[in-house]
Amino acid sequence: MARRNRSGTARPPGAGPAVSGARLWTWLMLPGTLWMTGFLLASLLLVATLAFGTTDPLGNPRFGLNTDNFAALADPAYRTVLLRSLGYALITCLICLAVAYPVAYAIALHGGRFKNLLIAAIVVPFFANYLVRMYGWSVVLSDDGPLLKALRAIGIADDGTKILQTGPGVIAGLVYGFVVFMIIPLYAAMERMDTSLIEAGRDLYGGPLRTFLFVTVPATRQGAAAGCVLVFLPAMGDFVSAQLMGGPDQIMIGNLIQDKFFQGQNWPLGSALTMLLMAVLLFGMLGYLRRTRKDEAEAVR
Amino acid sequence: MTLRPAAQADLRPPADPAEHRGLPAADGTRARPARRPRRRRRGADRRPRFAIAVTAAFFALLYLPVVVVVLFSFNSQKSLTVFEDVSLRWYSAFLRDDVLIDSLGMSLRVSLVAMAGSLVLGVALALGLVRNRSRLGSFAGLVMLVPLITPEIVTGVAAMMLFKGLGITLSTTTVMLAEITFSISYVTVILRSRIAALNPEVEEAAMDLGATRRQALFLVTLPALLPSILASGVLIFALVFDDFVLAYFTTGVDPQPLSVRIYSAIRFGVQPTINAVGTLMLVGSIGLIVLALAIPRLFGRRGGLDLLSGK
Repeated sequence: MARRNRSGTARPPGAGPAVSGARLWTWLMLPGTLWMTGFLLASLLLVATLAFGTTDPLGNPRFGLNTDNFAALADPAYRTVLLRSLGYALITCLICLAVAYPVAYAIALHGGRFKNLLIAAIVVPFFANYLVRMYGWSVVLSDDGPLLKALRAIGIADDGTKILQTGPGVIAGLVYGFVVFMIIPLYAAMERMDTSLIEAGRDLYGGPLRTFLFVTVPATRQGAAAGCVLVFLPAMGDFVSAQLMGGPDQIMIGNLIQDKFFQGQNWPLGSALTMLLMAVLLFGMLGYLRRTRKDEAEAVR
Repeated sequence: MTLRPAAQADLRPPADPAEHRGLPAADGTRARPARRPRRRRRGADRRPRFAIAVTAAFFALLYLPVVVVVLFSFNSQKSLTVFEDVSLRWYSAFLRDDVLIDSLGMSLRVSLVAMAGSLVLGVALALGLVRNRSRLGSFAGLVMLVPLITPEIVTGVAAMMLFKGLGITLSTTTVMLAEITFSISYVTVILRSRIAALNPEVEEAAMDLGATRRQALFLVTLPALLPSILASGVLIFALVFDDFVLAYFTTGVDPQPLSVRIYSAIRFGVQPTINAVGTLMLVGSIGLIVLALAIPRLFGRRGGLDLLSGK
């Protein structure tokens, strides 16, 4: 319902007594803004600057203006880790999409009165401690854990099959950690979707699969794109999954950064790696923004 | 679309594909004769068996790790695969572990301080952001979004470098400062929409009755926001208590937050005490989240929010 200004002493925004109000709102805004600028922007700027720095012989970081750290990133070892991180994060996105589409579809369109309860049942454990959930997941996936036991019993896996300490193990960890971020935006998109489109698809003889691919997916692609960003972002930066599920030859860029700051004590190189991570993610974000702008422009037309 | 999708589906006459072969979708859907025997079930109530099967499997896998942790926290043996007997052995081991108890205390202190600090700063920031559309406002709006689109490892590394750069020794205080910074964003995002939904007429009415703008803020607006403020406070407490990455980068040597302790314990092999700690943390966080979800509803029934929500 539209909000109506009272007729008598209508107060257009920014006129009359509102001036003193404006000052109050500014004062209210100031502490938080200063805090965020001081702690957040300053610290991010520090990382960006130190990426151009060096370490002195004692291992202390020094500011500077050289690009050695970025040149060092060209090292094939780093390239392998970066490509692996990108690959794992992308596969994680795809698996999350494959899981989230049916789940969001089933709940949004066929959840009935249990809709909210089911969504809460997905969201609530996600707020529980990430490490505890990861730890439980690693127990489930362990060599004599319940999952592999079940798979062996039905003959899919044999005695030598492993999930932990492999790449798929890392991806399983990432999917478990972040799949919620895919389900929620997809669920929201499906809730908004005009379901008569699906019926129209069926009336036109689309089978369930074709209707899904040519009607449901296009109608919810914005939700899917948002979900991909929300999954890709933390998956690229994660270092817990690679550590608990993968082991030494499955490290991702997050583990490299952690190592440079804690074990390696090479902060400038660590900063450069952090900037590289940010650059990759910003690139992804820009792609997403361009995509959504285009979608919006089409929607307006 | 004027009708709710489900209602629309029910009003629709049954589909008869044979009659509409070749017709465009837009036609026919409503003009179709209604008395034909139904040959295919209607779209909306046809159960997508595949999607439901995936959903069931998803829920099983989502809860299996949680069940394993809780179940084996009551195991009398060290094993994580064979359940021996029900016992509280690992809970009493946790209670006797001074290091873990210290960590628990520290995590609780950090969460409380972060909750209080981020609520004060975040609520004020959110009020300012909604009501003040100046250049400073759009700058603040952008800064506030930064933590939400930056991976936590980056904010963690950055916070640690800032503290070390300023010569501050990492300690409980640095964890608190970092967590406040991170939590302000959450508080602001949650409260912005609530504040925007408030009816400004009530505040104006208070001012017409002689209240100053500040009195109107404290006597009218903030009480109306109380349920949302409480709910986001509980949420922040749970998020900070469970946070690992930021705590990991900003914590000193002793004491360390509980999640950092758990991390090092898991890295160095299986320690069944973790199942007990983990179970307590799961129960605690889930309880808090449910509380956060319930608070607005509890107040809502008494009209605490609806009074001013502009409906």
